[in-house]
Amino acid sequence: MDDIYLIISTLIFLGGFVLAVVSLRSGKKGEVGLNFWLAAAGFIFQCLFLKERGELHGRCPITNGAEVLVFICWSVVILYLALGKPFRLSLLGVFSMPLVFVFQVLAIISLTLNDPGARPPETLDPWLEMHASMSLLAYGAFGLSGIAGIMYLVQDRQLKSHDPGRLFYSLPPIRYLTDAIVRLLVIGTFLLSVGIVAAFFMKEFPDAIHLTASGAVWVVYGILLLVYLVRRISPKPLALLAICAFGFALLTLSLI
Amino acid sequence: MSIFCLGVNHKTAPVEIRERLAFVEKSIPEHLENIREIGSVDEAVVLSTCNRVEVYGAAERPGEALDRLVEYLVAHFEVSPDEVEFYRHEAEDAAHHLFEVASGLDSMVLGETEIFGQIKKAYATAQGSGATARRMNKLFQQSFSVGKLVRSNTRIQQGSTSVGAAAVDLAEKIFGNLGGCRVMILGAGEMSRVTAQSLQSRGAKSIIVSNRSYDKAEELAAELDGKAIHFDAWMHHLDQVDIVVSSTAAPHTVVHRDMVEKAVAGRRGHSLFLIDIAVPRDIEDEVNELDNVYLYNIDQLQKIADDGVERRKKQIEICRGVIHEFLEEKGIEALAEIPASRRQDGESSSSGKPSSSPLPNS
Repeated sequence: MDDIYLIISTLIFLGGFVLAVVSLRSGKKGEVGLNFWLAAAGFIFQCLFLKERGELHGRCPITNGAEVLVFICWSVVILYLALGKPFRLSLLGVFSMPLVFVFQVLAIISLTLNDPGARPPETLDPWLEMHASMSLLAYGAFGLSGIAGIMYLVQDRQLKSHDPGRLFYSLPPIRYLTDAIVRLLVIGTFLLSVGIVAAFFMKEFPDAIHLTASGAVWVVYGILLLVYLVRRISPKPLALLAICAFGFALLTLSLI
Repeated sequence: MSIFCLGVNHKTAPVEIRERLAFVEKSIPEHLENIREIGSVDEAVVLSTCNRVEVYGAAERPGEALDRLVEYLVAHFEVSPDEVEFYRHEAEDAAHHLFEVASGLDSMVLGETEIFGQIKKAYATAQGSGATARRMNKLFQQSFSVGKLVRSNTRIQQGSTSVGAAAVDLAEKIFGNLGGCRVMILGAGEMSRVTAQSLQSRGAKSIIVSNRSYDKAEELAAELDGKAIHFDAWMHHLDQVDIVVSSTAAPHTVVHRDMVEKAVAGRRGHSLFLIDIAVPRDIEDEVNELDNVYLYNIDQLQKIADDGVERRKKQIEICRGVIHEFLEEKGIEALAEIPASRRQDGESSSSGKPSSSPLPNS
């Protein structure tokens, strides 16, 4: 049943993205607002999938690559649902959906080809659960900061070109996008810090590769924030770095 | 009993005629009373704006009422029947016309919102004068619903339609809310004043004016509630402002890349928007290559305004589709017959009594 929930959720995100693109192209408003509710519907099916997998394993469902990808998607969507409106970035969901769709398709393929099945823990370690879930929530925030970075670059390009296209009027002001990138970086770095601190209390200390990879991601984002806050680098390099940093964070996932 | 509309607008009559036909606001209740004494006219609403003069009404014999209304207007406003050609709409056509007017589709600036408030005011005046009953109440309330629906479901308001609006819209796409934005004006000409006022209307607060003639700078600064500075000092303020509007009469560029580069370095990542409305241009083109600096000249702003007009024109059919869908679902309530039972309860449209129907919230 869990795979059905994941497929439904993935199809909803695909539908939401297609609907938003069609809406933006047609010139009709309204459907972009519907996107929020579609994201919420996709989120419910993500929750159902993760619940089923959690019950299967008897712990937080991040025991294999596919589950990790879905958990990151879940983090992206929950952060969008929670922060999209306060950050005045309703279009963030439209830009997030391709990422969520691709990750979930990869997860579906992975589970179809080789579902490792139940992996109950020998002993349940709440610190391990805390470490894993906080770290992946942090990845969600970093993912959204990268997406906000893409939106910034698109809007900056349109403003510089003197020939604003259709997206120009739908995208938020670049100041809001800059603020969103910084806030999401702060949220992500804070969550990752909590996750790393939790690792120090785990019954079984993480191996060196895991520790190095997590530490490297933390250092990259820490330096990025520090450079921005101290040197006040221009928003464009900040947006580029937010995108690159998320790419780097994704690469480290295979090590973790 | 049916509804009708009679009027002239910017498409059918020149301003010389429209200004002669314009109703003086305080005399509208008196006119409404006179109009309701014409033939079978039972209800009436007068909409009089810069771009249109229209009378909406309900009458037992709308054709005859329209003829008598033309006679009334021609006589009262002392215009010759040959000078003016009124458009006339009856029944569904009259309702469709009002719905398009309320949606901004019949406005000079396509999609503008001011007309919506003007219709509300016209209706409130008529309602306050006791000139409306069931049909006009239904018609105007439906027009408010349609106007809102069209604006919230289409992009008829999207894009700028003038150079000033384009500059302000771009500023909002860079800074969002202009509330905390600081503006510097170089050159105290008319274009600067208009652009600065547009920025002020969207919340820009602190305005610095610099001009070769300091007296003129002081004059404009006083008008804009800003501060005047000497022209040789403006570059020292460049790092403190968010928007620069330049329209000096200099025959060469006055704002150079190195000046802006130096100013941007001290702005701690804040964007700078430069609006060059001077001909010859005041600001070097290379300034736009700087990171986080956005430069627009008069031609680029004009192109955005032209594109905005085109974009809005393309929305007309989408808007009409929205109106059509609305009417398919709801019908024109003002044309619906009253059930006999309700008529006996005293809800006849030919009451002539003040309506108790409330104005909807905007």
